[in-house]
Amino acid sequence: MIAGYIQRRMTAWLSKRIPPAQQISLNRGNIFIFPSRFGALYLGLCLALFVLGTNYQNNLILLLGFFLLALMLVSLFASYLNFSGLSLQLGKLSNSYADSPILFPVWLETQDTNKAGKVHFAWYGTKTINTVELDNLTNPISLNSTAVQRGKYSPPRLTLSCYYPLGLFRCWTHIAFNCQVIVYPAPMAKPWPVTTKQCEQQGEQATHQFSMGSGLDEFDTLTEYQPGQPLYHVAWKQAAKGQGLLSKRFATEVQQSGWLVLNCADKELEENLSRLCFSCIELDAKGWVFGLELPGTCISPGKGQAHLQACLTALALFKAN
Amino acid sequence: MLRLNPSAANHAHLLLTLVLLFLSLSLYEPIQLWVLLLVVCAAVMRFSLYMNWQKHQLSVRTLNLMAVLCALVLAYFGWELGLLLGMLNLLVMASSLKMMLLATRRDYFQLIGVQFFLLGAALVFNQNIAFSLLYAGLCLLLLMSLAFHINPSASWLVLSKRVATLCAQALPIAVLMLLVFPKLGPLWQMPTGKGAHTGLTDKVSPGDIAQLARSADLAFRVTFEQEVPPPASRYWRALVMEEFDGNSWQIHPYRQKLMQRHWRTGSPFTPQVSGAAYQYQVIAEPTQQRWLFALDTAVSNEQHLWQNHDYTLQSKIPLQSALAYRVRSYYQSNLPPALEQLDSHLNLQLPERANPKTQKWAKQLWQANPSPQRYINAIAAHMRQQGFSYTLKPQPMPVDPIDTFLFEQKMGFCSHYASATAYLLRLNGIPARLVTGYLGGEMRGERYMSVYQYDAHAWVEWLSDDGWQRLDPTAWVAPLRAEYGLEQAVAHEQSFLADAPLSGLRGIAVFQALRGLLDDMDYFWSRWILGFDRQNQQDLLKVLLGDLSPVKLALFGLGTLATVVLLLALYHIRSWLLIKGDLPNWYYQKALAQLARQGIHRNKGQGPADFCTQVEAQVPPLSAQHFSALTRCYTNLCYRQLSSEQHKQQLRQMRDLLAKLKRSLGQGLLT
Repeated sequence: MIAGYIQRRMTAWLSKRIPPAQQISLNRGNIFIFPSRFGALYLGLCLALFVLGTNYQNNLILLLGFFLLALMLVSLFASYLNFSGLSLQLGKLSNSYADSPILFPVWLETQDTNKAGKVHFAWYGTKTINTVELDNLTNPISLNSTAVQRGKYSPPRLTLSCYYPLGLFRCWTHIAFNCQVIVYPAPMAKPWPVTTKQCEQQGEQATHQFSMGSGLDEFDTLTEYQPGQPLYHVAWKQAAKGQGLLSKRFATEVQQSGWLVLNCADKELEENLSRLCFSCIELDAKGWVFGLELPGTCISPGKGQAHLQACLTALALFKAN
Repeated sequence: MLRLNPSAANHAHLLLTLVLLFLSLSLYEPIQLWVLLLVVCAAVMRFSLYMNWQKHQLSVRTLNLMAVLCALVLAYFGWELGLLLGMLNLLVMASSLKMMLLATRRDYFQLIGVQFFLLGAALVFNQNIAFSLLYAGLCLLLLMSLAFHINPSASWLVLSKRVATLCAQALPIAVLMLLVFPKLGPLWQMPTGKGAHTGLTDKVSPGDIAQLARSADLAFRVTFEQEVPPPASRYWRALVMEEFDGNSWQIHPYRQKLMQRHWRTGSPFTPQVSGAAYQYQVIAEPTQQRWLFALDTAVSNEQHLWQNHDYTLQSKIPLQSALAYRVRSYYQSNLPPALEQLDSHLNLQLPERANPKTQKWAKQLWQANPSPQRYINAIAAHMRQQGFSYTLKPQPMPVDPIDTFLFEQKMGFCSHYASATAYLLRLNGIPARLVTGYLGGEMRGERYMSVYQYDAHAWVEWLSDDGWQRLDPTAWVAPLRAEYGLEQAVAHEQSFLADAPLSGLRGIAVFQALRGLLDDMDYFWSRWILGFDRQNQQDLLKVLLGDLSPVKLALFGLGTLATVVLLLALYHIRSWLLIKGDLPNWYYQKALAQLARQGIHRNKGQGPADFCTQVEAQVPPLSAQHFSALTRCYTNLCYRQLSSEQHKQQLRQMRDLLAKLKRSLGQGLLT
C-alpha cells in the first residue's frame, strides 16, 4: 500500500518535473545522477584503502585511495556532461494490435560529436529493452512496447540511463512523449458471418466501380495502371523491367460485398471485436467491399487501406475505457 | 551446464585478466606457488576465451568443486602463513577462481573492486619506485578496463585519452588530499606477515654476521638535520644480547619478559640525557622485525616507537613496509645502567662448561692485569701480537668456538672478536654484553647517509663505573674497518661482495655514477613519498600558515575545498564555453527567458519573425522595439552571410539590446 502510494506520488512529481513533450532535450532539469551499485562498492573500497593505508602508515596506499576518490569526483562531472545535451524525438508511429508489439522509433540527436558510452533504454520500472552506443549510433532506435488492451495507448515513461565514463555513476532520466497510438483488438481467427442486408444500392455502385480488376480469381490480362487501382494488382515484375506500371486484370466479374454487423454489445464483447477485426482484415485482403455496423456506429461499405483503418479504429475505440 | 562465451573479443575482460596476472606475479614472494599457478591457469583460460579458441566456460559445478579443494589446501597451509599472508593468498585465490567463472556484469564489477584492493595490499609489500610505477600502470589498466566495459566499441586510442584526461584531473586533487588530510596514527593493530626476515637476527652465532655482510642491500637511510657524526663513531645500535650459551648470543629471556611487562603497563624507559645531540631521521627498509637503529643514547618521541631499558629503540609493529622515525642521539654521555643490579647480574652469567682453555688463560691474564682497563689492553695487545686477522670467510668452529678462535684459527669476523672479548670480560667478573647493529654509512654528498647490510657489525659493551662503555675489539686487528668500512678492511683477501652479481662493475666510474643517481632517486622517494609523516605535514602547514591556530586551520580547510572546486571548474570551463560558443543563440535564448518571465512563451515551431509580431502586440512599445531589433540581429547572424567585422558589430548590438530589453521589461513591471 505504501509502495503504491509512493509510486503515485512519484508519478505525479515526475509529470510535473518532466512533462510529456514532442521533443525532449536532456539538461539540468530532467537528469538524475547518483552513484551506481558499483559506485557504492567503489566508495567502500576507497574507505578500505584509507584504513589499510592508515594502519600500515603507508602513504602510497593512502594516495591510491585518495586518487580513486578524486577520480570519482571528476567522473561525476564527466558523466553528467556526457549525458546532458542529448535530445530525443519520437518518430512516426503506426497503429497496432493488442498483444502484439508496438514499435516506437526514437531519434536520438547529439549536439557535439564527442558523446560516448552505452545508453540503456527501458520503459519505466522494467528491464532494459534496447542499448545503443553514442559513438556508434544509428537512428532511429526502435523500442517495442506491448499494449494488452485495445483502445488509445500512450507508452509509459521511457527511462534512459548511462554509466559513462567508468560505471561509477548512473545518469538517468524518465522522459515521456506526447503521443498516442490506437491499439486494435487482437485478431481472432474465427470469421464473423458476413451479411448482405440493405447494401444493394451502394453495393451495386461499388460493383460497377470495381467490376474490373478485383476479386481473387484467375489472372486474365495486363492493362495500364490507373491511379486508384490497388497496388497489390500492380505487375511488379514488368515494372522492374522498365515497362511502366501495369495492372493485373482478373477474370472475376462478380464483386463480393457484405456487411459486418455486431448487434449485441454486451455478451463476449472482446471476443466478438477480435473476430470482427480478423474478418475486416480478411475481407480487405480478399478485396471485398464491406461495411461495419456496431451499436451506435456505422461505417458505410468501402475498401482500401483508409477504409480498413477506419473500421479497425472503430473497433478499437468501441466502448473502450 | 556449459555457458556461452562472454569474453570473446572483450577488451575489458582481457585487461582485467592482465592486471590480475601481473599483480600476482609481482607478489611472488608472499603468494604461494600453487596460488600463482592457479592465477596463471585462470589467465590462460580467459585469454583463450578472449581469442575465441575456447568457446565455452567451465561449468559452475566444476568450479565449485575446485574452489572447495583450493580452500582446503589454503586452510592447511594457511596456519603457517599467518593472518596477513593468509588473507592475501585467499584474496588472490578467490579472484583467480572468480576469473575462471567471470560471466555477468556483477562478477566483473566485484573482480574490479577486489583488484583495486589487491593493488593497495601489494603496496604493503613492495614500495620502491619500480614497483610503484608498475602498480600505477596496473591501476591505469584497470581504469581502461572499466572504460572498455562502458564503451566497448571505442578504440584504444580514444579510451586511453579519456582515461588519461580523467586521471590527470584527479591526480592534483588526490595529492592535495594526501598533503592536507590529517595524518592519523594506526587505527588498530594490523596483522603482519611472517615473511622471510632480513637483516640482523635476534640470535648471533659467530659467523652469522659474515653471512649478512655479503649482501649489498640497503638497510636504512639517515638524514641528519645539522651535524653529521664522524665515520669512526657511526655505531648504529640495534640489538643488545645478554644471554650467552658458549656458542651463540641472544636477547636474555628475562629481559624480554621485563620488556613485555613494561609494554603492558605502558611505561617506557626515559633515559637521562645531557650534552649535545645529533638530530636525524631514519628511514628503515622493511625487515619484518621490530628493532630499529640509532646512535648512542637515542631518544625518540614518535608514537609508534618504544624505548627499551637497554637503550635500544623498537617499533610497535614489525616493519612490513619502510618506516621513518626521528631520533635525537646524545653522544657525549655514557649509557648509565637503567636497572643497575639487573644489568650486572644478567651480564655476568656464564655457560657452565665450555672453552676450558680460554677460562684458564683469562685467569692468568687477570692475575697479571688486575683492573678492567689494563685487562682489556692486555687482550688487545695479545691479539695484535699473535697475528690475529680479520676475514669475511671464517672457518666453522663447531666445538668450543672461543677456544678454537683464540688458540687455533686466530682469524674471524667481528662477531668472533666481540663474542670472545665479552666472554673474556665476563670470566673475570666484568659485566659485558654483545651489541649488534651497523657500523658505518656512506654519505651521499651532504644530504643523506645510506647504510647497507654489509655494514652489519657486532661489538661489546662493558659496564664501567660510569656506565656502559663501547668496546670494539675488531678495531684492534682491523683499524680500517671503523674508519673506512668493510671494503677497505677486507681488501687484502678481495672477498668484499665477491659473490654478488655484477660485483666487478662496482669499480667502474659510469656504474658508480648511475648507482649514485638511482640511490638519490630512491632516497627522494623514501624520504618525501614514503616518509611523509605528520611532522612533515605540520612543517608544510607552518610554512604555509605561520602558526597553526584553529581559525587558520579551519580557513585552510575551506581554502582547500575552494581549490578543489576551482580545479573542477577549470576542468569543465571549456564545456561551458561551448554552450556560450553559439553566442547569437545564447543571447536570443536569454531574451526569450526574459519574455517568458512576463508570461509570453514561444510555441514550438514558431519562427523568430512570427514570434516577434506576437510579442509586439503584447509588450509595451519600447520593449517591442528592442525585441524586434534583437530578432533582426539574430536572423541576420543566423541566416545572412556577414563579414567578420559585421558579425562582431551585430553581436555587440545584440548584447546591448538584450540589456535594454531587460531594463525596459523591468520598468514595465514596476509601473
